[in-house]
Amino acid sequence: MNWLAILDFARGPFFEVALLVFIGGLAYRLMRILLLGWHFDRIKPAGSKLGGALISYLRGILIWPFIPWVRNTFSKNPVIYIAGGLFHLGLFAVIFLDAAHILAWQSLLGFGWPSLVTPIVDWLAAIAIVAMILLFINRLVNPVLKLISGPAEWLNLLFVFIPMLSGYIMAHHLFFAYEVNFSIHMLAVDILLIWIPLSRISHFMFYFFARAIHGADFGKRAVIP
Amino acid sequence: MQAQTAVNTFVHETGGWVASQLEACTRCGMCAEACHFYQGTGNPELAPVWKVELLKRAYEQRFTIIGKLKLATGIDHHVTDDNLLHWSKIVYEACTLCNKCSMVCPMGIQLGPLIHEVRTGLSAAGMVPADLMSAVHKQEAEGSPLGVTDSVYDDRLEFFEDEYEIKLPVDKKGADTLVVFSSIEIMKYPGNIAAIAKILNAAGENWTLSHAGREVVNFAFFEGDNEETVLFLKRIFDAAKDLGVKRIVVTECGHAYDAIRWTAANLMDVPEGVEITHIAHLLGELVRTGRIKLKEGMYDNGGTITFHDACKIQRRGGHIQEPRDVLHVLAPKSFKEMIPNRAEAICCGGGGGVIAIKEADPYRYAAFELKVDQLKKVGASTVVMGCSNCRLQFDDCVQHFNLDVKVAGLSQMVADALIE
Ligand code: SF4
Ligand code: SF4
Repeated sequence: MNWLAILDFARGPFFEVALLVFIGGLAYRLMRILLLGWHFDRIKPAGSKLGGALISYLRGILIWPFIPWVRNTFSKNPVIYIAGGLFHLGLFAVIFLDAAHILAWQSLLGFGWPSLVTPIVDWLAAIAIVAMILLFINRLVNPVLKLISGPAEWLNLLFVFIPMLSGYIMAHHLFFAYEVNFSIHMLAVDILLIWIPLSRISHFMFYFFARAIHGADFGKRAVIP
Repeated sequence: MQAQTAVNTFVHETGGWVASQLEACTRCGMCAEACHFYQGTGNPELAPVWKVELLKRAYEQRFTIIGKLKLATGIDHHVTDDNLLHWSKIVYEACTLCNKCSMVCPMGIQLGPLIHEVRTGLSAAGMVPADLMSAVHKQEAEGSPLGVTDSVYDDRLEFFEDEYEIKLPVDKKGADTLVVFSSIEIMKYPGNIAAIAKILNAAGENWTLSHAGREVVNFAFFEGDNEETVLFLKRIFDAAKDLGVKRIVVTECGHAYDAIRWTAANLMDVPEGVEITHIAHLLGELVRTGRIKLKEGMYDNGGTITFHDACKIQRRGGHIQEPRDVLHVLAPKSFKEMIPNRAEAICCGGGGGVIAIKEADPYRYAAFELKVDQLKKVGASTVVMGCSNCRLQFDDCVQHFNLDVKVAGLSQMVADALIE
């Protein structure tokens, strides 16, 4: 097989198409939500909606991945808190702070930024991969997750797992020739990009809606969200 | 077909507010750990995310490409009447709309209000538990779900005036404050009525009760029927306008407060310039401003006192601090918090209409087990609350679980501690 040709395809036209689907798909979903109609809230507030929304964001971003144990429900299912938090942390570090990925960003955007030192990114990536396996097992055994998981939920895990794993293998030059690893990684990334707007992985976009609504609803009542 | 009616209502109710939150859900299942009904029973179908599944399916099938694809390929199916039956059971019998789940959801999805939307669809389709429905009909016909008709109201008030030696002003034009009791208080906790009257009189408040607006409980709001909800609210607002009051005070009822304070203005026109507040807030204000004086430490010698946060008065009502301020005067040494508390408190399990549905009893008791645990851990000999619906649940469950705990209403404790 001509891996170099595959690599060219995966990095070239296929990537461009995937990127278009990703951006177009998300834009479509965003517009659809925005255009669905928003009623004007006529309730007289007792506190600040904006303040509530800000606190809600801060809590969501700080407590959730870093100090989950301050929540009283933590002890009931610590795996999902810790694995979920570490997975997201590792994912962000790899996508935005890994030297090789910053080069990719640079070629896309025209500018880059300093990277995190490789060993740290490396560890975070490894942790994220282990966390994903834990999340997978958790989804297999937890009765609620069993009930609410359909094919899409399993595909979500798979389509995120393969780029993570193949990226790790590639960074460590394991198993196959470099261009083979690279090709697999790029193909997996392309598929993921196409899958995101079709799936709930796009929650990162609606996160901002839900958090704002939550914070405003609590803030309006003068309750800390 | 009933399912079609429900789906149409869901579609009608779905604006950006509902859709963006349904889209944000990652199906992580963490909300389950918040729900006392899931915790108490271990039944995964009682997980909050599963309770909104019906709404989510209707939304996806109607508005999203993926949803339509799923239908076409047979991965998902049209909503059926059997589905409605299943969801009717779980959203009416095993959810108090306490919204604790929204505090645990990493996305912050407002699951309580979304489950209320599910109820709205089911109510349009006529899939409401019979017990709840008959209470709504009774409120429609008699003005109260507990049968407090005009004449029953008069009889009760006359009886309270004799029994407790208090003055209860009714339909007094020119009063500043309209006090609206719940029929639970009128029929089951008359001590509350006497207590609140005593406090208001001691504070020199110019207040009144009303015949037309005599019932604050809103069973249509439990049901999720917006039209009827407005009808019941209108009775109170009309009374307030007639009497020309400046404020409406809701007494010890939580869901009613959610309806009139935090929902009404989005469903109907509410009278301009009339403040709506809760007795918990008023008590705090009267104590803070010195309009009433209380015997400090009056309850300090009877063992540990703890406070139960009612989901609709504290977390959803905003009056978290006031009852604590009052308790710090009444029992500075023996007042102790349960954990978790305040906005993250665990709900009693009887609200949202649950206690009115006989078939829900097993769920209701299972959910209360979390409360039993909390009470034991804090070593409470008295548990205080500001919601008489919670109090019904506590009274019943204290018996059911054979607990040695006294259940008390906040207003009554304040009234007993008044320095005349
Ligand atoms: S609102 Fe309360 S009772 Fe209902 S699902 Fe959420 S936590 Fe459970
Ligand atoms: S916790 Fe929130 S995001 Fe997770 S399943 Fe429940 S509703 Fe969805």
